[in-house]
Amino acid sequence: MQLLWQILVNGVLLGGLYALMALGLVLVWGVLNIVNLAHGALIMLGAYACYYLFTGFGLDPFAALPVAMVLLFCLGYLIQRHVLNLVIRAPMFNTLLITFGLEVVITFLAQITFSADFRTVNPSYAGANFVLLGATVPLVRLLAFGVALGLTFALWLFLDHTGIGRAIRATAQNLTAARLYGVNPRRLYALTFGIGAALAGAAGALYGVVSQINPYIGSSLTGKSFAIAIIGGLEKSIYVLVGGLFLGIVEALTALYIGPTYTDVVSFGILVLVLIVRPTGLLGRTA
Amino acid sequence: MKLGLKLALAALVVGLLATVPWWGSPVMVQFGINALILATLAQSWNIIGGYTGYPSFGNSVFYGLGGYGVAIAMVQFHLPFAVGLLLGVFLAVLFAFLLGLPVLRLRGHYFAIATLGLAEVMTAIVSNLEIAGRNVGLILPLLKGDTVFFELSLALLAVTTITVAWISRSRFGFGLIAIRENEEAAAVMAVNTTLYKILAFALCSAFAAIAGGIHAYWITYLDPSSAFDITLNVKMIIMAVFGGAGTIFGPVLGAFALSAISEILASKVTSLASIFFGLVIVAAVVFMPRGFADLVRRFRQQRWRYFQENIKAHRV
Repeated sequence: MQLLWQILVNGVLLGGLYALMALGLVLVWGVLNIVNLAHGALIMLGAYACYYLFTGFGLDPFAALPVAMVLLFCLGYLIQRHVLNLVIRAPMFNTLLITFGLEVVITFLAQITFSADFRTVNPSYAGANFVLLGATVPLVRLLAFGVALGLTFALWLFLDHTGIGRAIRATAQNLTAARLYGVNPRRLYALTFGIGAALAGAAGALYGVVSQINPYIGSSLTGKSFAIAIIGGLEKSIYVLVGGLFLGIVEALTALYIGPTYTDVVSFGILVLVLIVRPTGLLGRTA
Repeated sequence: MKLGLKLALAALVVGLLATVPWWGSPVMVQFGINALILATLAQSWNIIGGYTGYPSFGNSVFYGLGGYGVAIAMVQFHLPFAVGLLLGVFLAVLFAFLLGLPVLRLRGHYFAIATLGLAEVMTAIVSNLEIAGRNVGLILPLLKGDTVFFELSLALLAVTTITVAWISRSRFGFGLIAIRENEEAAAVMAVNTTLYKILAFALCSAFAAIAGGIHAYWITYLDPSSAFDITLNVKMIIMAVFGGAGTIFGPVLGAFALSAISEILASKVTSLASIFFGLVIVAAVVFMPRGFADLVRRFRQQRWRYFQENIKAHRV
């Protein structure tokens, strides 16, 4: 029982971070109808931005997080403005393929610049933890969980209560109507992709604190993000949170009862299973 | 060109290529084997991705299963290579049937990502299998001499291409094209869409599996991350798309052209060769999304406007 409680705590803490990873992917998918296969690579870049700000400038990883977000926002904005906007009305396969290409380019550039070595961000309080009802809670994981939750909430506020947020949601629903109300789709798409990239950057910064990073973590993180998006559906950011927590808990349980090497089998197995049974997501409406 | 003339030309090219191991340098023969295997993979992807319009990102699973069929048969049971190939094909076709049934019901993004997920699952499953050597992999017996492998790969590519040529003019192929263009309409026209899609998937899995088996025996080493390599999938897709998906010779030409360019780059600047495929994908999707075959056809009339028109058609 004690062990199960510990596993649940681990799963929930991991799940919050997973949700943040998926959030940017879901936003871009919902508004631009692009499944960004380079999303994991952007998460990886966020992790490296945080790593270099920490080791190079001695910046605390949680203080480096906003900087990583700004950097990734700029990169995302430029990618959408100068590359993806050129193909956005092409068939779905083409947009999928081009983000695949971007993933390859980003990963190899990262490998050349950062080297293939494993890196970790180790602030002085990395080993600190406390006990909650008998379960050990590592401090950094709890902080990461809190930041992830906060950003999810912030995105919801932004989309629901600001002019730009409304413009983004309007564009997702009906591009033509949004244009008639004065939305400039080129800029708005770039902005949306930029926000998606910034969220990926934040997720990466947190990922670097709780786990090891190398240039190749991207593709499996894209897969996980996609699994969460599918479990939660594309409709509300709160559903993404549920999807993230679900995957986090399932992975933690798998690691305990089946074996740590099987976590990927289970998470991708769930992905394929959910796709087959309910392609609109477990929580989404039926099509 | 008439098809008969095209076939005669193709037969001549195959005949000339078959002589390469007798006069080419070892490096050239090795490059040839790689290019031929990649061309086979691109061509087999063409059946499901090009003709049927289901862009599978999981074809490296078939390639990997083919490799593991050969490796398991030869290392664990000391059976001959041919039996291993059969085992690999059996595994891949079984996989295509079992998973094709649910996965081929999905469309668009969902199909693509589900197949991508399958590739990840297979890597993870095989790394846990004792018989497949877990994540350490298997070492196959060594067969000296590249000539055999070159001729085998060439024969396989020829058979795959002939199959695709047959598909493109058969009732079966018309059914697949109908599914690509409009699946509901195809179903209304009494095309058994489920059966056709699964047969196409199984057919492409068989060719990819044989390619994987030949490659595994040639390299004499196999581990999960190289067998189910996702970048291999990127390569076969971009080669088919670059040459012209849904055409008979496009994927083969695309594979040869891109392999050659990548090889030349690798000899000059190693790091550049690695991002080459990524850059080609981005450039091809932006400037020539319908492939080289379409470029050749339209460039005569439109000249450089061809690229502008492509961008204009798809930009926001």
